[in-house]
Amino acid sequence: MTKKNILKQAAAYPHIVWAIIFIIAPLLFVAYYAFTDKEGVFTLANLGQLAQATYLEVFLRSVCFAFLATVICFVIAYPVAYFISRTSPSAQKILVMLVMLPQWLNFLIRTYSWMAILEDTGIINIILGVLGLNIHMINTPGAVILGMVYNFLPYMIIPIHSAMTKIDPRVLEAASDLGCSPLRVVTKVVFPLSLSGVISGITMVFVPSISTFYISQKLGGGNFDLIGDSIERQFQTQYDYNMGAAMSFVLMLLIIASMAVMNKYSDDEGGMLV
Amino acid sequence: MTKKKFNWRTLCIILTFIFLYMPIGVLIFFSFNESDSTAVFSGFSLRWYKELFTDTATLNALKNTLILAVLSSIISTIIGTAAAYGISKMKNKYLKNATMSATQIPMINPEIVTGISMMLLFVFVANVLKISSFNGFWTVLIAHITFNLPYVILLVLPKFKEMDKSLPEAALDLGCTPFQSFFKVELPAIMPGIVAGFIMAFTLSIDDFVISYFTTGSGFETLPIRIYSMTKKRVTPDMYALSTLIFVTILVLLLISNFTSGKNKIELSKKAKKVMKIIGGSVFGMIGITTIVVLCISATTEVKTVNVYNWGEYISDGGYDTIDVNREFEEWAENYYKEKGKKVKVQVNYTTYASNEDLYSKIANGAGGYDIIVPSDYMLEKMQKEGLLQPLDLEKIPNCKFINSQFDGMFLYDNTYKNDSDKIVVEKDNKKTYGIAYTYGIIGIIYNSSQITEEQAPKAYERIESGEAGWELLFGEPIPDKDGKYQYDKDGKMIVDTTYLEELKGQILQFNNPRDAFGAAMYYLDIDVNNPTEDDWKAVYGLLATQKDYVQGYVMDEIYNKMEKGEAWIAAYYAGDCLSMMSESADDVELGFYYPKNKDGKPQTNVFADAMCIPASANQDNLELAHMYINFMLEPEIAYANAEYIYYGCPYDYTNIFDYLVFDENNELVLDENGLPVFDMELYEKNLAYVEVYRENLGEDYDIIYNADFENDLLNPNKLRDMFDKFAYKDLTNSYMEGTDVSNLDMLNESWEQLKVASTSMVGIYVTCLVIALAIVAYIVYVQIKKRKQRRLYWANTPTPKAKPKDEPSPDLSATAVIAIEKAKKRDKDSQK
Repeated sequence: MTKKNILKQAAAYPHIVWAIIFIIAPLLFVAYYAFTDKEGVFTLANLGQLAQATYLEVFLRSVCFAFLATVICFVIAYPVAYFISRTSPSAQKILVMLVMLPQWLNFLIRTYSWMAILEDTGIINIILGVLGLNIHMINTPGAVILGMVYNFLPYMIIPIHSAMTKIDPRVLEAASDLGCSPLRVVTKVVFPLSLSGVISGITMVFVPSISTFYISQKLGGGNFDLIGDSIERQFQTQYDYNMGAAMSFVLMLLIIASMAVMNKYSDDEGGMLV
Repeated sequence: MTKKKFNWRTLCIILTFIFLYMPIGVLIFFSFNESDSTAVFSGFSLRWYKELFTDTATLNALKNTLILAVLSSIISTIIGTAAAYGISKMKNKYLKNATMSATQIPMINPEIVTGISMMLLFVFVANVLKISSFNGFWTVLIAHITFNLPYVILLVLPKFKEMDKSLPEAALDLGCTPFQSFFKVELPAIMPGIVAGFIMAFTLSIDDFVISYFTTGSGFETLPIRIYSMTKKRVTPDMYALSTLIFVTILVLLLISNFTSGKNKIELSKKAKKVMKIIGGSVFGMIGITTIVVLCISATTEVKTVNVYNWGEYISDGGYDTIDVNREFEEWAENYYKEKGKKVKVQVNYTTYASNEDLYSKIANGAGGYDIIVPSDYMLEKMQKEGLLQPLDLEKIPNCKFINSQFDGMFLYDNTYKNDSDKIVVEKDNKKTYGIAYTYGIIGIIYNSSQITEEQAPKAYERIESGEAGWELLFGEPIPDKDGKYQYDKDGKMIVDTTYLEELKGQILQFNNPRDAFGAAMYYLDIDVNNPTEDDWKAVYGLLATQKDYVQGYVMDEIYNKMEKGEAWIAAYYAGDCLSMMSESADDVELGFYYPKNKDGKPQTNVFADAMCIPASANQDNLELAHMYINFMLEPEIAYANAEYIYYGCPYDYTNIFDYLVFDENNELVLDENGLPVFDMELYEKNLAYVEVYRENLGEDYDIIYNADFENDLLNPNKLRDMFDKFAYKDLTNSYMEGTDVSNLDMLNESWEQLKVASTSMVGIYVTCLVIALAIVAYIVYVQIKKRKQRRLYWANTPTPKAKPKDEPSPDLSATAVIAIEKAKKRDKDSQK
């Protein structure tokens, strides 16, 4: 039995070998660069430099933007996912595919299109112009956050929706039979049961938002540098691999820490739900 | 009652879909545009769809992207499913946790870190194995499999967990072999997970840009990389056309699959299946036949490849009645070999980059396999010094006699630096040419004369009208103190007269690249760009910091759309690009152009040249073809086709009669019966005709590109060399500020970093964030307290309130993600059923 089991485990070995070579080893390179200077001597100077006020601000800004984008995504995605999950199975299939469909088109091109929509002479302002309004949108923090929301919204809708479809409709019926108002059904029954979807949705939106670099350049007019921009610049134009690696390293820790916190929270919740 | 609810739901869904599809509508709309612009619609045409099918490089990139997506998703699905199976059978908790954590890393790691870390690995391995480079395809494939794996595993794993454990046992009991039990029982049960994993992997792979960008090697370009490399010039509408086609194809496929799997399934199924079988069969058959044919051909003929790595949109590519230069070269070279009696298939592997810095980081990191690259002047010098280039064999480039005499010796270096086991060896007195000029150009200022008018910006208008305008419209005029020194405020911002800036506030665009942004400021302050002092750096930083408050944005390629639509009023950019903006601008936008000068009318701007070089790491077998390619670029027909396409200056001069002297095989002048040298008059006249046509085609633009009428003639092609000596950037890497050990490149980067990172005030955002975060925390605390209270009440009468009903394994992050994804997959599958 055990022998057989070991054999079965062996199915995972190709992946483990792959992960060691192509996931773990490259990260060691990042760590190596983060803690050495250009001559390869151990140093903490790179990390020390990140503690400067300007970089702290970049980190703070990135976290804020990503956080807001995640919150907005959630606020939009939750009702949409809920409504989609209440439609017929065939309609659901179409709607879910339609949610994913934009992701198949190039992300750079879609971001480019947003520029044409948000600009002062863009489509929204042309429409508003009829009403005699003109709102400046491009090159503002709002535009950057909108770009993030747009690009990552499907990754919030899909997991939440799939969590919701798993909910037994009889549970909802029972809840309303027992006197829950529709709102209470959602908050007391649907939400707790779809929490796992919410958590993975938050992960799938927050992580890419915090490290994005193209969106802020195109929709923010290069005025709002995010960590992703700084990292890209370190590697691409300044050739300071050590500094870039240090930033990546900190960003990684930041993300892992926030994931751990969220995990813990979801764990508690999950525990209480049982 | 139901009706009201229904409407509300539908509205919510519809609004979301409008949000999701608005940009797609915009890109579909502009794909039918007549002009080059993606911002100004000038008329309906199918031009870009036609161009798309003649654009071999784009089609090739599309093909690469698809092959890559299919292969990487198949391989990662196989490895991932096996891994999920293995993991689900693991008993050792630590091993299991370690494996799961490692699996999650690419998911939670920023893409850019994954991409760079893999690049470092590949370079390291290549160095260890002493090979110049890996084939770009394999490295990107590995990278894609790596980031696809976690998603596949996280989607498949839950299926194993959900599966009834007794099923495989039952199968075994009933006489199945373990293999049969796996394939007949377990596999169908986990199929939804596998399908979802495959789709997810495919989606991620097809859209990935960052990771492919860092891990790709020579000659392999995916669609996203190609689009990104257009960001110095512009993203052309044929990309929009391509996106539209992809979108429509997928939509149609979706509808068909839905239609056939819907209620009509039973009626249609037999017929549909038959049709599908025929279609599927013929498609596979065609693919098979093509593969066989291609294999046969490639087996019988020798294939020679030249890997060209050029700027995006930097060659005449065959669109809109232009010459497809690379295709022409292939034909020409094949003919050349044919005449020599060799049957050779020639391939130009053409890939693109977006900036000198991108190019450098590729080459310097050991990405070999490029045979021709086109760096700018300063980058060429830097690469040459670092031993990254090899000298050109001018005898193999006979056309180099046509290079404008002003460029003679421009890329001739007397010191040959060779990168020999980490030491740079200098060989003296060994003059070699390292580059052949490809284009040259000047930075000028483009402005919107329908907005900068007497009413809206009187001072700026007056200044431009006077014909003496310079950088002061973009930077303001510094106010020196009594001693003539610049003054700064406490943040290091320079104190300037902001008359012009106030008029143009929020309408100025600045370069989003440090060299040109700081360069402009240096030219303005009459600082030698190649030898600035610490004070100079302080001054230019101060100038840009002051300017930042007035700037609309830091841009590169976006400048096209913004200027053409009248989104911004004034900006500095490369002259040729300015011209193409002027010709594409919207009807109500009138664009003007000038070269910045100082008060005395002296030019104050950058001149640059891009040159064709052969990297030191180029494949020795391709050298012959690489030289032939460079030579081909100097043919007048080709050179002018490129110059017309790029709109930059053409550094070749075909009008010098002495370039047409005829030599015999001993390199001796051929003399006629009178003892006079013979000229190839036929060629001369033919070339002159090309010059004529080119000038005619350019029309008025000629003057701007070549500055024929610049008043003190300094920008005249015949004075180019002077200009270069005064105004071009030199390599800054090894130059240090006088009397210090601080390199100018560090100063440049640090100043830029400081400029970009320093915030424009965003208190509002931070406060909003804080408020929302606090609200969420408060809510959670409230819920927790409430629940605890309830629990206390509930458990009040029970002796053991330790409320851990089950020993639940702590659902770690990946597990939750997996579960969610799995659920989604299951739903998909269910609905498919």
